[in-house]
Amino acid sequence: MRVRRQLERRVRALIADPGTRKDAVRDLLIGEIAAWQSARIPEYGRLHRDGAWPPALPTDVFRVRRIASHPLKEDARVFRSSGTTSSNRSAHVFKDLGLYDAAARAAAKYMLFPDVERMRLVFLAPHEEEAPHSSLSYMLTRFAQWFGSEHTWVWHDGGLDIERLETTLVQAVADGQAVALLGTSFAFVHAEDGLGDSSIPLPVGSRIMQTGGYKGRSREVRPAELRRAMSRRYGVPEPWIVAEYGMTELSSQMYETTLRDDLTGISSPRRLWIPPWVRATPVDPDTLQPVQGDACGVLRIDDCASLDSVCCIQSADLATRVEDGIVVEGRAPGAAPRGCSLAADEALGVS
Amino acid sequence: MTDDPSVILKRARTVLEAGEILRGRSVAERARWLEASAQALSEGTPLGREARAMLPEETALSDAMVAWALRTTLGTVSRDALLGVAEEATEVVGPRPDPISLLSVVLAGNVFTASVRGIVVPLLFGVPVLVKASSRETRFPTLIREALRCADAELGMAMDLVVFRGGDADREAALVEPAEAVAVYGTDETVSAIKPRIGGHVAVIAHGHGVSVAYCSARSLTPESIDDVTARVALDLAAYDQRGCLSPQVIYVEDCPGTSVDGFTTRLSGALEAVAEMLPRGPLPEAVGAAQTQWRGLAEVEGTLVRGREHALAINRHGAIRWSPGYRNATIVPVRDLDDALASMKAFAAHLKCAGTDSWTLRELTARFLESASWKAYATEIGTMQTPALEAPADGSPVWEGLFRARRR
Repeated sequence: MRVRRQLERRVRALIADPGTRKDAVRDLLIGEIAAWQSARIPEYGRLHRDGAWPPALPTDVFRVRRIASHPLKEDARVFRSSGTTSSNRSAHVFKDLGLYDAAARAAAKYMLFPDVERMRLVFLAPHEEEAPHSSLSYMLTRFAQWFGSEHTWVWHDGGLDIERLETTLVQAVADGQAVALLGTSFAFVHAEDGLGDSSIPLPVGSRIMQTGGYKGRSREVRPAELRRAMSRRYGVPEPWIVAEYGMTELSSQMYETTLRDDLTGISSPRRLWIPPWVRATPVDPDTLQPVQGDACGVLRIDDCASLDSVCCIQSADLATRVEDGIVVEGRAPGAAPRGCSLAADEALGVS
Repeated sequence: MTDDPSVILKRARTVLEAGEILRGRSVAERARWLEASAQALSEGTPLGREARAMLPEETALSDAMVAWALRTTLGTVSRDALLGVAEEATEVVGPRPDPISLLSVVLAGNVFTASVRGIVVPLLFGVPVLVKASSRETRFPTLIREALRCADAELGMAMDLVVFRGGDADREAALVEPAEAVAVYGTDETVSAIKPRIGGHVAVIAHGHGVSVAYCSARSLTPESIDDVTARVALDLAAYDQRGCLSPQVIYVEDCPGTSVDGFTTRLSGALEAVAEMLPRGPLPEAVGAAQTQWRGLAEVEGTLVRGREHALAINRHGAIRWSPGYRNATIVPVRDLDDALASMKAFAAHLKCAGTDSWTLRELTARFLESASWKAYATEIGTMQTPALEAPADGSPVWEGLFRARRR
């Protein structure tokens, strides 16, 4: 416990100042957290790597094993990824959500709400009570407490309440109150389909945060196309439409830089901001070493806020470095060529 | 490049008409022509040089791998082998088989030389062929067409090629309209998607999902033989960068006092390094790279992973096989004996295409596959898994399946 407390204190120090990069401090901390976790989590302890960086645990392991640096009875919360069966859902366990909350709040304040203390929030995602295992729902419910002057949930029972969305937005326009729309990409596509020709230009200062892929829950729309459509419909300038990158297996989130860049007068390409307590690195799939320059690699994320599970994660996402951030090119399809493309569902778990 | 439905239909009809000329020649004449066509693609010929120059980029295989694939595949198209297949078919089907008038073939894109058998065998039996190439791999079928026409311009008209993206109903209709059967290579999804679109008048010869495995018995793991065995398995594994359905995904290794599974794996890893010197892996696609990081890491967590420069071998002692993304990533499973290995294979018997094994076990494994209709696989000697003979069964059926009309009583 003593070591965990010490590590947590140091992580909190990084989180407390999201505007300052202390990469050497972060890297040292990552190494210490990884060593501590390696001794406590047998699955992680089995990994060995050459080189300066500790090994990164593939996200697929979270689907088949409980990854925790504490005993089962101390689990305070379990987040699970979306999926159709328990065998293909990742589980991320927490003993304490304090660091998660601190990281989520600091990142959102810095990247989504740097100019306001509170504003009206509209969530196109289920409430925490409706989706108790969703880390997104948990985070958005906290956002309501941290950043909301008022808030409305327009996703219920697995569907979008179009009427409520429209009414809420029309009211915001009438009140002259800026709104933050936050939700999943597929929910925004449902909104596009459901609102038809209605255009609801929102007051200045309104913004949109969208996250996640489609997973067959709506038609798929390319990010730039969806951004354009949302910008037209809600009158929100494209830089104020920000994608969030998060994963069940992580405790921190990355946001696109455009809103903050626009506010601070910086002209830079759209990319994901890497919080100072996170190291995000595209790596070579053979050597697992960082790729050179702006080459595409498989995204490794070392997240100091993941104290209760594993800090160093190997995702299946493809990414490239862009300036001081990264751009995620997309999630690699699970059904990679194998034999004559044996279906992934069949392929997994055959014994 | 995409061909219009009218072009597809026109080519189909031309090929159909050329069928009469094809059937007018004897089997021996057709075999001679096909052998000459294969030779027209050999290393020193203009077409052969073109193939070796152009195919690495299109197939994303290394230069050496393309050259090996061409040499080993075209080498199976000999007059003797062709006549052997014809003779075997005659024994089974009868002395005067009645070939169908036209076969349309939908090719997959994972192993470029798979088209050879799919084209050569029908032509041998007097069945003209219209090929729909994978939109990503058109060069090799084009070169085959050139080779067939180069060897005999008249007979060469019995094969032609069309290109379009899969899922185009109008073009698919044109492809199969004059055909009596269509052979479909690809995923089960491709096969099941295409069936309702082409209607009931055309028979579908499906070549869907598949995986292959290898089995090494204790007898093959003696100090005298193990180097040969691991070299053979390494070749099977490395060939076509393990992209094909004949590539071993799992290697069952019998527990034996002399050679431990760990020892076998270390030797196999060494053999794979040696193969990589001769037949380097092609560039790793990004999506495969992502899947590879997950598969390797999970294997390391669940068992033992032996990594090489371009390969990894996962020793799996707990029984749950996780299929790798290919590209020289394979699972080693220790087993007590052949029964134990077969019990494991049963779980995916419907998808098992081929099992390679050592010379001591080949006869027994062949017999075991013949015992039950649930097995679609055939057994072959390790080291030859990726170079199937012309007469090797396809999905549990003779290679000429679907090429003859049923006899009327």
